[in-house]
Amino acid sequence: MLYKVMDKNVYQDFIKALISNYEFIGPARKDRSVHDFVPIKNISELDTNYMRTTIPPAKKLLFYPTEKLVNYEVGKSIDVKPVVESKERILFGINAWDINGMNFLDELFTTDFIDENYISKRKNLMVIGMDSQPTETNFSPSMGADYAKSGFDIYLTELKDKYFIRIGTARGNEIIQKYAEVRNATAEDFKDYDKYLDDYRMKFKLNVDIKNFYDNFELIYNNEEFWKKVAKDCYSCGSCNLVCPTCFCFNIKDDMELNLKEGNKIREWDSCMIPEYGLVAGGHNFRPNKENRLKQRYRCKLKTFIDKFGKYSCVGCGRCIETCLAKINIAEDINSVKREVSV
Amino acid sequence: MSKPKVGVFGFTGCGGCQLEILNLEDQLLDLISAVDIVHFTEAITEHSDNYEIALVEGSVSTEHGVERIKKIGNIAKIIVAVGACAVSGGLNCLKNLYGTERAMELVYGDKKDWIDSIEVKPIDQYIKVDYYARGCPPNRFEIVDIVRSLIVGRKPEIPNYPVCVECKRNGNTCVYEFGMTCMGPVSRAGCNSRCPNSGSGCEACRGVIDDPNVNAQKDLLARYGLTVEDIMEGFNLYNACNKVPTVENKNN
Ligand code: SF4
Ligand code: SF4
Ligand code: SF4
Ligand code: SF4
Ligand code: SF4
Repeated sequence: MLYKVMDKNVYQDFIKALISNYEFIGPARKDRSVHDFVPIKNISELDTNYMRTTIPPAKKLLFYPTEKLVNYEVGKSIDVKPVVESKERILFGINAWDINGMNFLDELFTTDFIDENYISKRKNLMVIGMDSQPTETNFSPSMGADYAKSGFDIYLTELKDKYFIRIGTARGNEIIQKYAEVRNATAEDFKDYDKYLDDYRMKFKLNVDIKNFYDNFELIYNNEEFWKKVAKDCYSCGSCNLVCPTCFCFNIKDDMELNLKEGNKIREWDSCMIPEYGLVAGGHNFRPNKENRLKQRYRCKLKTFIDKFGKYSCVGCGRCIETCLAKINIAEDINSVKREVSV
Repeated sequence: MSKPKVGVFGFTGCGGCQLEILNLEDQLLDLISAVDIVHFTEAITEHSDNYEIALVEGSVSTEHGVERIKKIGNIAKIIVAVGACAVSGGLNCLKNLYGTERAMELVYGDKKDWIDSIEVKPIDQYIKVDYYARGCPPNRFEIVDIVRSLIVGRKPEIPNYPVCVECKRNGNTCVYEFGMTCMGPVSRAGCNSRCPNSGSGCEACRGVIDDPNVNAQKDLLARYGLTVEDIMEGFNLYNACNKVPTVENKNN
């Protein structure tokens, strides 16, 4: 990691240079309640002071909601061609918990099996991180995800009169060398940066006792009453999965042309909260009710990957809480396990 | 392999579903060359009673209609109900809320006896339906998918999950955030969340999913200041012919 400092008045020119030299994706206001990461053509469209995005930026750019995987032609034999799209892009302004969410997907899509469609996009994505304002539903500090240690090429932190820059890769360093005027960080700069981090952490108001949840999960797992109560209003609508930065499940569909000679295999985001997810050939559903499904979702988010990768797959972004029309709240549910097992 | 013979038939409805098929443009030619269309009320004048697949739009609302639909049921090997009117009775069912007699009086006054009109029913009340292309209008790509699946001999994939799934894949801001209401959480997807994509709430024109959480939807709408009557209207606009599950008979 290299630590540099950039004067505030250099920032605008730096961004303008990036916009004119790269395909630049950054946060812009979408409507009165949310921002969205979109291609930016002019610096005036960019609004890094955002709070909410519906779909996590990295997931949106690396793992499309629907995507062609292969193209096939049926002749004497079947000719299958993989469809791998990828081009060099900059993702600018992604926050720490969403970078941590991306780091999870990076690991997932390269473990056991290399997902070419994901990883070829990822290799070509330059990531420039920046803090954003946490919502009331954000509990990323409890999940250890409010600070990004890796996954970015550059991370910019806005201090009073300067930007503190962390450079994570050689590629990031090249960009800084080429387009920005910077100096080495001094002890004074580090002091200002630490002070900023202390203040920033104060903005997160929601805490969860994740350790307790993890330790007691097996105890609560077979408590049907508990899960019935928690899932009572669930619509099985899948929104909580689809907006989650780490949910990776997908379904593959065949899309054959009417001429019956060619077609595509398409993948689309799937969700373990909808009944079809547990449906297997022959019509048996191994997770027929919503209680089972919610329990499975929490297990996946809060337990499975600690055992597998040594980290949670939940980064505490709070999106699933905001999106749930049934007001099902993962943070409240994590905390309620403690009460439930202690009575 | 000889091409399957297809008939496209219209019953009570606006005819918009057949237009959806004609609107396929590029794919229409492929469709026509993949099958042999022997009857198509809105598009061709030839007519034959020799077909294997029947695409039926509209609901049955006359005695004459009952005879016709039964005949189609006897001839076709596979029946596809196309559009809300054929699938669930659609908007036409609102007539049933008044009762046929009362509705006839309101519309035709003293001429009511001249008119052949009976209680509105979806076609599956008379014949066995194999596949449903839901929606008002139906999704033309889904119609193609059903026909294509029939040709290659596999089961068409028709979603049984809520519209919210497609809405989120499309990255929409939920219309509830703007104080609007939406039937998306209990409505059957497959339209690519057409209404929320353009900023309005879903009205369940494709019907509800198999296991809708009706109580949660009632609570949700109530939080947005809607009464039970408003709520029933929301459920009934396209689904008045079906008995909507209520708090008493469907305890989720
Ligand atoms: S928890 Fe909420 S968002 Fe998730 S499926 Fe249930 S109702 Fe939908
Ligand atoms: S489970 Fe919820 S809070 Fe955790 S990362 Fe996913 S969307 Fe964010
Ligand atoms: S199993 Fe469920 S919670 Fe886990 S990644 Fe898949 S959709 Fe997300
Ligand atoms: S707008 Fe409607 S369909 Fe979309 S997420 Fe909200 S409730 Fe679901
Ligand atoms: S969003 Fe709802 S009302 Fe609109 S087309 Fe889809 S199912 Fe029909």
